[in-house]
Amino acid sequence: MKKIAALLLALVMTASAFSGCKKVDTASGSTGTGSDTIKIGVFEPLTGANAAGGEAEVEGIKIANKLYPEVLGKKVEVVVADNKSDKAQATTAVARLIEKDKVSAIIGSWGSSFSMAAGDLVKKNKVPAVGASCTNPLVTKGNDYYFRVCYLDPFQGTVMANYAFKSGAKKAAIIQEVSNDYAVGLATYFKEAFVKLTGDPNSVVTTVNYNTNDQEFGAQLSTVKAANPDVIFAPGNFTESALVMKQARQLGITVPFLGGDTWDIDEFTSVGGADVEGATISTFFDDSAPVTDEGKKFVEAYKKEYPDKNMAAVSALGYDAYLVIIKAIEAANSSDSTAIRDALAKTKDVEGATGKLTFNADGDPDKDSAIIKEVKNGKFTYKDTVTISK
Amino acid sequence: MMNNTKKRNIICTAILAVIVLALIYFANNYLDAYIVRILNLCAIYTIIGLSMNLINGFTGLFSLGQAGFMAIGAYTVAIFTLPLDMRSTIFYMEPMNPAIAGIHLSFVPALLLGGVIAGFAAFLIGAPVLRLRGDYLAIATLGFSEIIRILLTNLQSITNGALGINKIPDNANNMWWSFGVAIVILILTALLINSSYGRAFKAIREDDIAAEAMGINLFKHKVMSFVVGGFFAGVGGGLYASLLGTVDPKQFYFTLTYNFLLIIVLGGMGSISGTVIASFIVTCGLELLRTFDEPLTVAGYEISLFRPGFSMVIFSLLLMIIVLFYSKGLMGRTELTWDRIFNFFGKMKSKKAPKSTEGGSTK
Repeated sequence: MKKIAALLLALVMTASAFSGCKKVDTASGSTGTGSDTIKIGVFEPLTGANAAGGEAEVEGIKIANKLYPEVLGKKVEVVVADNKSDKAQATTAVARLIEKDKVSAIIGSWGSSFSMAAGDLVKKNKVPAVGASCTNPLVTKGNDYYFRVCYLDPFQGTVMANYAFKSGAKKAAIIQEVSNDYAVGLATYFKEAFVKLTGDPNSVVTTVNYNTNDQEFGAQLSTVKAANPDVIFAPGNFTESALVMKQARQLGITVPFLGGDTWDIDEFTSVGGADVEGATISTFFDDSAPVTDEGKKFVEAYKKEYPDKNMAAVSALGYDAYLVIIKAIEAANSSDSTAIRDALAKTKDVEGATGKLTFNADGDPDKDSAIIKEVKNGKFTYKDTVTISK
Repeated sequence: MMNNTKKRNIICTAILAVIVLALIYFANNYLDAYIVRILNLCAIYTIIGLSMNLINGFTGLFSLGQAGFMAIGAYTVAIFTLPLDMRSTIFYMEPMNPAIAGIHLSFVPALLLGGVIAGFAAFLIGAPVLRLRGDYLAIATLGFSEIIRILLTNLQSITNGALGINKIPDNANNMWWSFGVAIVILILTALLINSSYGRAFKAIREDDIAAEAMGINLFKHKVMSFVVGGFFAGVGGGLYASLLGTVDPKQFYFTLTYNFLLIIVLGGMGSISGTVIASFIVTCGLELLRTFDEPLTVAGYEISLFRPGFSMVIFSLLLMIIVLFYSKGLMGRTELTWDRIFNFFGKMKSKKAPKSTEGGSTK
């Protein structure tokens, strides 16, 4: 009897969870299935630790699907598979998309490690994949079937080094989240570029590390304070970074903080409050000033679809990933995976929401400009566009 | 009579072995890559589940260090089987330590080495912490697995740090490897459990003071169970790395251990067959439930429940039901033996028999 009561309780609990789901989903349209469709697979973390990032990318992809529902006269069907923020599940999700759903191309995933796990599979099965926000260089390196629309850690690190140098800094300190591949990548290339720009091998005065979920940064910050830098480059997760800044201000460190696009989220300013004022980042998309017509179109559609949401930059990247595939299918004039891959490799000057996209030999976009944003009155506002000549 | 059942059991085991081999052959050659991948994952989860059950279920040590042992095995395989010409591209940020940059091992030695290093780590950590009991041991082993993860993050020149390693040669995506190793480890575990050491493990689980009074060296047996479990988990981790083709420190977060804790609790703490059954149920179940993640349209209306994430709700519900009705796991502490199977069918027959006589009496 007790067991049955417990079971009933569990049922009620889950049922109440469903009613919550219902409301959210009634807005999105239904996807019909037919024989005359081209399938594009999407694997993203929709449950688990990284669900927020995956959800944002899927939003962008869905909007792209709505604006471009057809290619070559056929309907495009987006098949979404959840990789559950788990590497093993990422590989089974991709295997399922390839074997069971027979998709022509794949988009994904938020989190480079999931994309890396899928890399071997897409290569072996000759199904091209386009990553939206996976910035780890190893994702596309040596893999002819993996492309991506975001720029890489080296570029972003270089952009910030240029910005720091331009604003007059001669000495920089680095505080990096060492367990985060993204932060480590940015920090390494920042250092390389900054040393080259200043011509002084000791211009990066100190590099200190912390781990994801750390709360106390006193030791690292005293090292930084003793080194007396002009600027601090601190790429990392938004919560930890905001805490770093809070504690730095308490210690009397007043120099400006620079970071990466991960900070561009409401939680960063709400955790940091007044202490993150003046924090400067580079990012790939600014919804208040889209650089292309495609970007304007996307922002408009997004605001209509999700009126009460703040747009994440990765949504724009998800949109671009879909767009690049559609253009490649058009160029290849076929839904054959290998033909799409060849067309993707030749992608040149495709207008996306985040800028014009041209893939280089590695399958990475040759983007040459980034947007600089600064926290002003508790909000990230557009400051500058930095262009790097290669 | 005794001889007859023994003979019957041997024949049945032989038939089962042939069937399993035939199934592996069939699956490996005729099934698509998606199903083969899931089956391989089942086999690897079985290995790690068994290693955890040996420590937690049979010896009664509440250890949560499995992710750490797996990480050691996985990284050993990743580092040593990585082709030499690819190393400089993958270790692009900080070159590989020259001491290991030139060493390349083939899959089997690397797998064994991974197991041995994990076993050695188990010995190092086991010697001091196995004096602890219950929750304290759980915390200490959890800490151990976190230390391993932090080390992997920071030893950039050996492990490539947070960037991880990819392009690990794909050896385990062949069912002969994953199932072969799983079967060997299954047999080894069964032999160990039924040996005098295994009986000592179980005695320690039941009551360590009584076990000590019986002359069992507690420390020796606990360390032994821990080291063997660590070795198995290391081998399983190596296969895991090879199946996924990539490793990074984040994947060995302590939550990974909970997957295996789920498997052994579901299957039954202290049941080998339970672990095997549960790892198949959990792994295949999660995949089968993916159907619930796909949109479903009935008569033009999309049913909004069917959206990504719904499968996890169903999965949790199923787990609750199992835990409610099988509070000791599916198998408890019992094993699925031939005697049990035949007894079960025998009972079914005898149940039917009295019914028919009853029917006769009412006439």
